Amino acid sequence: MIRLWCIQVLAIVRLEMKKTFLSRRGLWVYLLAFAPLLLFLGHSISAGHRRDQLQRIATERPIPREAFRDIRSGMTRAEVTQKLGEPYLQWGGHRRDGHCGQYHARYTDGKTDLRLFFDDDKLVGIHRSELDSLAQVARIFAGVFQSYYLRLAVFFGCVGIFVNLFRGEMLDKSLHFYLLTPTRREVLLAGKYAAGLLATVVIFTSSTALQWLALLWQFDYTTVAGFLSADGWGQFSSYLAVTALACVGYGSVFLAIGLLFRNPIIPTAAVLLWEGINPFLPAALKKISMIYYLQSLCPVDAASDQDVPGLVHLLIAPVQPATRSVAVLSILLLTGVVLVVAARLSRRMEINYSTE
Amino acid sequence: MAILQKSSEDRILLDNVSRFYGEVLGVNRVTLSIPPGITGLVGPNGSGKTTLMNLITGLVRPSRGRISVLGVDPSQPQRLFRFVGYSTQFDAFPKGLAGSQFIYSFLRVSGYPAAECRKLTDRAIAQVGLTEAADRKVAAYSKGMRQRIRLAQAIAHDPRVLVLDEPLNGLDPLVRSETIALFKRYADEGRHVVVSSHVLHEVDMISDQVVLMSGGYVVAEGRIRGVRSEIQEERPMQFLIRCRQPSRLASRVFEQDHVVEARLLPEGEGVLIKTRDADRFCRALNHLALDGIDIEGVTPADDNVHSVYEYLIGTEEAAP
Repeated sequence: MIRLWCIQVLAIVRLEMKKTFLSRRGLWVYLLAFAPLLLFLGHSISAGHRRDQLQRIATERPIPREAFRDIRSGMTRAEVTQKLGEPYLQWGGHRRDGHCGQYHARYTDGKTDLRLFFDDDKLVGIHRSELDSLAQVARIFAGVFQSYYLRLAVFFGCVGIFVNLFRGEMLDKSLHFYLLTPTRREVLLAGKYAAGLLATVVIFTSSTALQWLALLWQFDYTTVAGFLSADGWGQFSSYLAVTALACVGYGSVFLAIGLLFRNPIIPTAAVLLWEGINPFLPAALKKISMIYYLQSLCPVDAASDQDVPGLVHLLIAPVQPATRSVAVLSILLLTGVVLVVAARLSRRMEINYSTE
Repeated sequence: MAILQKSSEDRILLDNVSRFYGEVLGVNRVTLSIPPGITGLVGPNGSGKTTLMNLITGLVRPSRGRISVLGVDPSQPQRLFRFVGYSTQFDAFPKGLAGSQFIYSFLRVSGYPAAECRKLTDRAIAQVGLTEAADRKVAAYSKGMRQRIRLAQAIAHDPRVLVLDEPLNGLDPLVRSETIALFKRYADEGRHVVVSSHVLHEVDMISDQVVLMSGGYVVAEGRIRGVRSEIQEERPMQFLIRCRQPSRLASRVFEQDHVVEARLLPEGEGVLIKTRDADRFCRALNHLALDGIDIEGVTPADDNVHSVYEYLIGTEEAAP
């Protein structure tokens, strides 16, 4: 019997593949999934270009890093030039009365870009801009992953794919073909869930992997190899696992919504709201959500990044995160409960297209 | 007890079955025992034929009553569709599939091995005459071809019970006769073929027994010949004839003893004929056409069979 069910599930997955991966209706899912990749790729190209440029300048005009520390406000241009030499970029002008006006100068040691602002020949402003380190990049990725990717991209991607597994076919009036086969409704549900899971896991984990690669691309081989051998592979595999678990969890919820509700927008909005207000909920209620456990599994504490805006900081900082095993088991348990309820309700599913 | 069990294993049984869609009636208090052979479900649109077929195949559940198809409850699709095939009226298909892929895929979902699926697919497609179009996308099929591929899907696993909702709609005369021959062959092999139609004449041609439905109720059932002769004796059939010489046609057909009325319609729209013998009337019409009367069209005016139902319902209500 189990062999028959497996054959049926595989046949359903095969039939659903085209719909889940290539439907015109689902193109926006790819956009959601791969938008951060474009963002990270752009950032990486820009950062790599800047890194190359500063290192080239530093080779042509070498400045010892310690020399930057001696620069203080109130110094004159002559004193600065004496310590650092001629800037690689400068601009400014004189006032009509013959006095020096505003003047800007830029220096680099290959890693730091130093911007100096002079007014009336006195140094009035110093701005140091460091090139991104791998640790910083990892925190940027963690912030985007938790605030956008999990909460919006994977969430709505699962809405687009899983809700349509049943609801889409109800609207297309083609669901009855499945119900005219000698297939248990529970097996049909399992087949549809497997098809949706395969599609979302492939789309979103491949995007996660490519985003990761795009961010690392700006660094040289030695830096990347050092990072990967230290903690990098662990972080990488954790992100892939969290993405896949998000698809597992949200997939089950939206499959059930597509099965049970004629209009899935309202229950989807309710789930979005519940997941969105999670940071503001009491500790006990926090635990009845997917996002709490998913964030607990994220390998990098994105909240430690001081540049993150206040609201985003709130969204990415789970208070008292669950342990790894509790988080995984809780997601699987929630998924199991939702699927069992959906399977029982699927036995009562009817074909009544006229009311759709 | 054994006889009762034997009976339920050989029949489609509906026991006081009702189905409501909210406050809207689908079917009400239907009790039927459908034996092997071709059973015609006849009734105007909205009479409950499709609901009854959906109930028999478990696509909808009864609000009240019990259903058994050869001893199996329709709420168990894993058992029911091993021996039941259902061709619905829904004219939609999974996107992107060719005709053969469509049949093959759902046979695979049924759990048949791949080689068996290929064999069953080829046979079913040949039976409905779609071999040449098997590799074309279903989306590119004509209405008649879509009707045939649905029929192929219903018969692909060689079911003992075949349920067909308006299966002859959109078929050309040749395919129509081949399809009817297929139904008759199934019936001759002792299988159940339940066919719905809103065209009484069509069901008359193919059915061994008929169930007449109106407003969700079964208003008559029995052997088709008996019902038909009763209808024709007391309620002549009507035909609307469109032609260029309506007066000449009216006078010629009125010479026939089975024609009880020939009424000229206003503005030369044609002639409305009432006859007690549709077969003889159709033969006579052929002779008149050969004699030079230019007949543009013949439409059975009882196609929606409202008059028949009115008659039947009226008779039942009048009965003590």
